[in-house]
Amino acid sequence: MSMSAAQGIGERDPLPHASDHDRTALSRERRFAAALLAPAFLALIATTTFPLLFLVWISTRRMDLAMPFMDGFVGWENYRQLFADPRFWESLVLSLVYTVGTVVLQVVIGLALALLVIRMKRGQALFRMVAILPVVLSPAVVGMVWRSFMLTPEFGVIDYLAITAGLGSRNWLGDPTLAMVSVIVIHTWQWTPFAFMVLLASLASLPDDIYEAARIDRANAWQRFIRITLPLLRPAIVMVVIMRTMVALTAFAAIYTVTTGGPGTATEILNLYAYRKSFTELSLGYGATLAVALLVLTLAISALLFVIRRKD
Amino acid sequence: MNGMSFTRRSVLKGLGASVAFPLIANRAFAQESDLGAYQSAKIDWRQAEGENITVAVIPAGYFENLIALAPQFQALTGVNVRFEKVPPAQIRQKAVLDLTAGTGTYATHAADPMYYPLYQANGWVDDLTPYLDDPALTDKAWFKPEDIVPAWLSANSIDGKVYGIPYDGEVTLQVLRKDLLEAKGLKPAEDLDAFLANASELHAPNDRVWGTALRGVAGAGQNVYIYSSLFRSFGGDWLPGGKLTVNGPQAEAALAWYVDTMKTYTPAAAQNWNWPDIADAFSQGTLASYVDAHSSASVINNPEKSQVIGKIAYARWPKGPSGKRVSSIWNWGFPINAKLSDAQKKATWLFIQWAASAETQIRTSYRFEGATKRSGVNRLSLWSDQDYVETVSKFGDNFVEATLTALKDDTDVDWRPRVPQWPAVGDAVATAVASALAGQATPKAALDAAQQRVEGFLK
Repeated sequence: MSMSAAQGIGERDPLPHASDHDRTALSRERRFAAALLAPAFLALIATTTFPLLFLVWISTRRMDLAMPFMDGFVGWENYRQLFADPRFWESLVLSLVYTVGTVVLQVVIGLALALLVIRMKRGQALFRMVAILPVVLSPAVVGMVWRSFMLTPEFGVIDYLAITAGLGSRNWLGDPTLAMVSVIVIHTWQWTPFAFMVLLASLASLPDDIYEAARIDRANAWQRFIRITLPLLRPAIVMVVIMRTMVALTAFAAIYTVTTGGPGTATEILNLYAYRKSFTELSLGYGATLAVALLVLTLAISALLFVIRRKD
Repeated sequence: MNGMSFTRRSVLKGLGASVAFPLIANRAFAQESDLGAYQSAKIDWRQAEGENITVAVIPAGYFENLIALAPQFQALTGVNVRFEKVPPAQIRQKAVLDLTAGTGTYATHAADPMYYPLYQANGWVDDLTPYLDDPALTDKAWFKPEDIVPAWLSANSIDGKVYGIPYDGEVTLQVLRKDLLEAKGLKPAEDLDAFLANASELHAPNDRVWGTALRGVAGAGQNVYIYSSLFRSFGGDWLPGGKLTVNGPQAEAALAWYVDTMKTYTPAAAQNWNWPDIADAFSQGTLASYVDAHSSASVINNPEKSQVIGKIAYARWPKGPSGKRVSSIWNWGFPINAKLSDAQKKATWLFIQWAASAETQIRTSYRFEGATKRSGVNRLSLWSDQDYVETVSKFGDNFVEATLTALKDDTDVDWRPRVPQWPAVGDAVATAVASALAGQATPKAALDAAQQRVEGFLK
């Protein structure tokens, strides 16, 4: 039986007539496996779990670098302040507008592109390669390019197009509504290729025979899309929505480089507000509370989406 | 075992050689005669020999010049100094993180004068007055602290105690297109009304010349930098009766003036501009005037980029309705991190004294070999030094007179509220100014909202 022990920890159930010697060898092996796992496990706890718990701990304290003499444990006080803070609710609404706006656009445009490209006989590979380029760029770089090269009034590409189209020059990042539209468009521009690639792959795997049957039944293109394509793509779409929602809720770099939450607070989503509280106003306790609120929100929305997915 | 110890010894030897080599090289580079001007100071420059210090600075010409001279400092003192360049947007946060953690990573850093109240409240930096008063550390007759621009030194002081020694600084001025003014027979503005009248005369956006520009982008050191001067020249007071106040009739009038001026006479994009963008636009000939730091003169006189060299004139800030001129002032000063060992503190003080001394100021300005000549020297005496005046006079008409008068007469230590909560307060005001400019709120509503936030910080 020493053979079976030597085969590794996968062998969990020694035969009934196994000797004591075998059992000791097995438990020794398990301990050895645990010892091998421990460093990675500890590193994981030290780098993820501990900071998270520390964040929650700080959120129950007043920790204000500008007024260190006031620091101390305050319990729920930060959370009470949070619910009474109008700027928190505004940033929450902005986060939701931003997330819903960009995710809907990503899925719609991504699906439309996928439907177009799936019929391409030649050049599909090239198109896919070009389309993926924005995804590999750093969001901070994307933000800088859009801010200076695309959106500057009088000088930027988008503004030039707007003037040429007869819309006149617009202050894209200076007007509160246009600024929000701009940051949504920037995020959509960067991440639509992700939705496109996933949906293209799912489209390619749809069975042809259903479509043939539908054609025989004289279903037109729209009916085929609504009744066949969409329902079959549903799991893929829900998956894309889940993944993109989590990222959009916690977006930071592109907005930070483009508007820093401005003009005023017009694009200050929850994440940026938490950053500003913590690192500009140096109010780390309340900043941590905002971060915890964002964490809870992201978890809640993701859980909801997963429930929807499971119903499929 | 024998082999082991042999290896260790040879490794140590190698390490020793690699440390010693740059020292020898530096000695060779900085000739003895170079140091004579420093060695006339009656202190022992080598009292902290062998110490290592790290200094955080921003990547700017005036610090590059200092870094280029660092081998001379090392030859003079035997202190090894390492520089770390951090962009201006991040240096405050990096410094605060280092100071909170108490790791003493940066012996000193280029500090924002508005942050000293915060540093002092936390005991993060040392009071420098004892260093200045200790004859073993400072030869006052040689260092001449009274020659350092008093407006900057007092901006770095709290209750008469100095927390940072200014190295480089600025004062804000009107920067004007002399040729455009003369063509219309106009004079530099004496007050804000005349400033708008000039801007209106010269405003011709169809010919791609806008009347003026002010910093528009939100930030305690950006739009608030200019807005605060307006607020004070409209008669505003940040701390009436000791209570921090950012709203009120003077604040509303000042903000309304700022918003109207920006909306009427500046390019729409200026809403997102900081000073480099303004100076770039001016050097391309698209602005007839702007109000910003005197040190932007080096940008608009850059022969590779500027199209307006020889057409530039300067004037002091226009007077506000209160009859006061309030120039925005700024300096990068060096504090001493309180978490250092005593020996490191000595080494750091020697570095600060060396960097802020008249001799180093000269060597990094007009006697500097490289292309960039500093205009933000920290010594009043230099402004009457013939060689220096000759160098900076090339920036345009009235540059020396306007700068020197502004430095002496137009400044006001409390032009921004010096409180430990400044990072938060400055951000609240910046947001208010930006949202009024974006048309999100009226000046009154924006400032009232800011006041509410400020009261929240002080609770």
